[in-house]
Amino acid sequence: MPRRRIGVFVCHCGNNIGGVVRVPEVVEYARRLPNVVYAEGSLYACSEEGLSSIREKITAYGLNRVVVASCTPRTHETLFRNACEEAGLNRYLFEFVNIREHCSWIHMRAPDQATEKAKSLIKMGVAKSYHLEPQEELESEVYPEALVIGAGVTGMTAALNLAHQGLKVHLVEREKELGGLLSEVNKLFPTHRDAKEILDPLVEGVKNHSLVTIYLGSEVEGVEGFIGNFKVRITKVEEEIKVGTIIVATGARELKPIGQYGYPAMANVLTQLELEERLKEGVDEWQSVVMINCVGARGADRSYCGRFCCHTAMKNAILIKEGNPAAKIYILHQDVMASGVEAERYYRGAMELGVRFIRYDPTNPPQILGERQAEEIKVYHALIGREVILPAQLVVLTTPLVPQADNERLSKMLKVPLGSEGFFLEAHLKLRPVEFATDGVYLCGSARHPSDIRESVSQAYAASAKAAIPMREGVVRVEAITAFSQERLCNGCGNCLLVCPFGAVELKDCERGAQVAWVSVAQCKGCGCCVAACPNGAMQQRGFSDQQLMIMIEALAEGVSSGLR
Amino acid sequence: MVSDKEPTILVFACNWCSYAGADLAGVSRLEMPPHCRVVRVMCSARVRPEFVIAALSRGLDGVVILGCHPGDCHYSEGNHYTRRRALLLKELLEHVGIEPERFQLRWISASEGAKFAQTITEITGEIEALDRRREPPPEG
Amino acid sequence: MTLNNQVVMVIGGGIAGIQASIDLANMGFQVHLVERTPSIGGRMAQLDKTFPTNDCSICILAPKMIECAGHKNIDLLTYSEVVEVEGQVGDFRVKVLKKPRFVDMSKCTGCGECVERCPRRVPNEFNLFLDKRKAIYLPFPQAVPRKMTIDAQNCLYFLKGRCRLCEEPCQAGAIEFEQEEEMVELSVGAIILATGFDPYDVSALKEYGYGEIENVITGLEFERLISASGPTSGELERPSDKKPPQVIAFIQCVGSRDVNYNPYCSTVCCMHATKEAILAGEHYPDLRSFVFYTDLRAVGKRFQEYVTRAREEYGVTYIRARPGRVTGKNGHPIVWYEETVFKEGEERKVRKMEVDLVILCPALVPHRSQEEVARKLGVELDEAGFFRIPDRLSRPLDTSVEGIFACGFCQGPQDIPDSVIQASGAAARVAELLVPERADRDA
Repeated sequence: MPRRRIGVFVCHCGNNIGGVVRVPEVVEYARRLPNVVYAEGSLYACSEEGLSSIREKITAYGLNRVVVASCTPRTHETLFRNACEEAGLNRYLFEFVNIREHCSWIHMRAPDQATEKAKSLIKMGVAKSYHLEPQEELESEVYPEALVIGAGVTGMTAALNLAHQGLKVHLVEREKELGGLLSEVNKLFPTHRDAKEILDPLVEGVKNHSLVTIYLGSEVEGVEGFIGNFKVRITKVEEEIKVGTIIVATGARELKPIGQYGYPAMANVLTQLELEERLKEGVDEWQSVVMINCVGARGADRSYCGRFCCHTAMKNAILIKEGNPAAKIYILHQDVMASGVEAERYYRGAMELGVRFIRYDPTNPPQILGERQAEEIKVYHALIGREVILPAQLVVLTTPLVPQADNERLSKMLKVPLGSEGFFLEAHLKLRPVEFATDGVYLCGSARHPSDIRESVSQAYAASAKAAIPMREGVVRVEAITAFSQERLCNGCGNCLLVCPFGAVELKDCERGAQVAWVSVAQCKGCGCCVAACPNGAMQQRGFSDQQLMIMIEALAEGVSSGLR
Repeated sequence: MVSDKEPTILVFACNWCSYAGADLAGVSRLEMPPHCRVVRVMCSARVRPEFVIAALSRGLDGVVILGCHPGDCHYSEGNHYTRRRALLLKELLEHVGIEPERFQLRWISASEGAKFAQTITEITGEIEALDRRREPPPEG
Repeated sequence: MTLNNQVVMVIGGGIAGIQASIDLANMGFQVHLVERTPSIGGRMAQLDKTFPTNDCSICILAPKMIECAGHKNIDLLTYSEVVEVEGQVGDFRVKVLKKPRFVDMSKCTGCGECVERCPRRVPNEFNLFLDKRKAIYLPFPQAVPRKMTIDAQNCLYFLKGRCRLCEEPCQAGAIEFEQEEEMVELSVGAIILATGFDPYDVSALKEYGYGEIENVITGLEFERLISASGPTSGELERPSDKKPPQVIAFIQCVGSRDVNYNPYCSTVCCMHATKEAILAGEHYPDLRSFVFYTDLRAVGKRFQEYVTRAREEYGVTYIRARPGRVTGKNGHPIVWYEETVFKEGEERKVRKMEVDLVILCPALVPHRSQEEVARKLGVELDEAGFFRIPDRLSRPLDTSVEGIFACGFCQGPQDIPDSVIQASGAAARVAELLVPERADRDA
């Protein structure tokens, strides 16, 4: 091992550190630590002046490790790493010691002890730096083609957006036609435009775009690889397709509430989608229509709200009422979900048109009265406090969208999780709603959670942006704090594989014939969970190895027993 | 554990939550006892039981692991493993006669600067009390 | 018309603006992010936790803020405003005014010594005026960029020609009283609007007594009180006696869904109140919360489960009523209401509930700068004052002007996940638009 030449730069940060910690004393102390060949104090290490000095000294003193003791690494780590790199030193041979937020600022009334603590922290940092190894950030190539699974309004929007950016797209659809759920819809909330008006341009767009290859009546059979380098098998396609990213846009399906409210036995009890089909042929002369919302939602069967089914119910109610102003239309609901500007306005419009909204209590749900078909509905009208009987020539059940039957199969294939309700689970509900924890795979539309067109299209664009990023960049760069397994030490126990939250560890055959752990650097996020789970130290983490962390503990303990804390 | 009255406490803090919480305590200038030394890890799950055992057996007075609140882990489940390992380790340590106060696991989020200060102050106090109890009786 | 210009402007540095900027920058575009206030972060920085995950808001926001500030493709123009826009898609010529901070950003290290020394206290807008800040200040502890700003309207030097006490402790010599405003002219190919929202001034609704009756506060004020980094360090103190409340009442739809004020639904308030009730319950296990609602709009992913959790784990009681009045003068507000959901045989009457604290969940309206921005950009507003989206179904992010997109609350009430989705979506729209020599022009 070449001799270590460690340089230590202790920052005053004006008065922030210097006003509490006796920096010159600390610099003297650092100078005498093993393997330290240079130490200096700096007024502001992060300033142009401070950084220049670091670069100069690396060259002048042949430093091969640099330790800066100043503020929190969370702000300036990149800055100092850059300075090292500019001076020709690998950026991972740099260690940051926090003597401001974690020392001078919290011990302002104890300068002696703060000074001793600063020395101790620097001793630990210098010890760790000794064991730092140069690292290269892995650049993994990203193949500039995408797979979009599902060609409904969501999938087609994403596919077209990527194609417009100049990226090739493989669009896989299991049905024989493009269009998804929207092909079953009649008119759209809130403008009453035809669904075809939205669908047709998208269908034309994907069919005519030279960069989009469509696979109808096909499904994804198998996926291997990782971001930038997925190999996909599609039914009816002989060769494997190579893609850089995958977008899941498989949508959802309407819940058919079999056994509830006389469905499907009674011929005049329909779901909203079935009503849409009927309405395509024109509005019938129904004299009374009762819609029951929240069937199969927000309850014991299914906890979630269908999000836009209130809109659908109102829309169909208005269409029927407009077609037959004398009809009595009732919507039985638990809450009217009409958030925002347009939906609230639409709701008011429905009321003004004469659609009657009746709130019911889920513990006392409506009842169908009738023998072979529905004739009346009995419901406890919560607002007036008594039961009412409503005439019902047609009963429409408003149900939520539910996950596709094959979500589980797809989730296993792509190594992405499902949430408790069976929809796909994104990386983070708030800030990463269209990404998966697994890099390179994205999610949009009702496959994630019931979404109306506006939301699905927005999500499609969002997923497209996320997928475009690595494809446009051409590479993914991984910070070199990833895990790696030392083959000769690994006994193939597989603990690491089990605990990795990102599926980045696999067991592979090695030269001596055994199965050993292997980390996909492109997938590894650097948490170190696998390292702690490894019984014999085969698995290590760059920059946070057992050796590096242990030496810090030993340096601290040595100080303790020798009188220096 | 050592003849000096002042304890030395090793603290592992995860980059995304507790280390940031410690930073916030600093930014807020919250005064606390100067006996802890923070070691940064990316996730509390990186901390292996051997570190804790090594630290305590080499004479450090206490070890604290700080992580994100359950459900908030940046790596989704890391802190669940931390919790399980910590539970087992605690039992093991007590079994060999090490006081439970000397190894603690706490959850600190990035916005809980005050909680960090409080936690450090509390734990330092607990360990100082232990060390005082272990003082040999005066001669004669 | 050429679409070669690979430079984009994002107006508004809240979570939507930040997300759009990061996505664009990662796609290879140069981004100018213009933010009116001294720091990016927006409303999300003012939240304690976010529903339905109860994530600490600043913990998930700060890394994005830092990523944004450090990104080589993002030019952060904080404390700046758009003054004039000319041109069209592919070549918008925007004049941006960089307001003077009177602090040299290249020298300031954000150490805060100057703030300690400043003698002038000013109501703190970040904390909804519940406490004070200094005339030289950092808007909040995690501000990005971490540089001080002198509020010239309240600084003693600018008002009276004296003081300048901040200069002495500044070892970096960053204070610069002679700093002047700077106008820059930028040419961008597309613009993304992300200007956010403001809470409605609920003092207009005299029946609820905001500003008159003690212990009637707004949702955002509650948020700052319960925040660990807020004016009371997370202690829920009643304004009147600083004691924690035992019984609290949330009144929803204050100024929302109301033809007298704002007819629309502000979308996030049902969840916001639920979250605050949960947080209050976490801090004070014996506290009782009541939420007076009209429709319990918990439509998003895992929102319904969150409400159930509030009911079952925290004992939050939801009462379907829109209270007619709040009265009370001894520090215990009284909420007057009528139940609108009746069990069989239940008596109907006007009821009253005496509580320790009333929280009004106000309507959320377009940001005060919205009309001005719309005018400058020639973008249309809808009936509620949000940016009009002509085709919400196929082009949910496109405004009435080609090349100008809008994401987040500024185009319609929505929560954080939807804002983030729209932000990334707007970036994708820009990416498919600004394609040099693109053959297929049908965007």
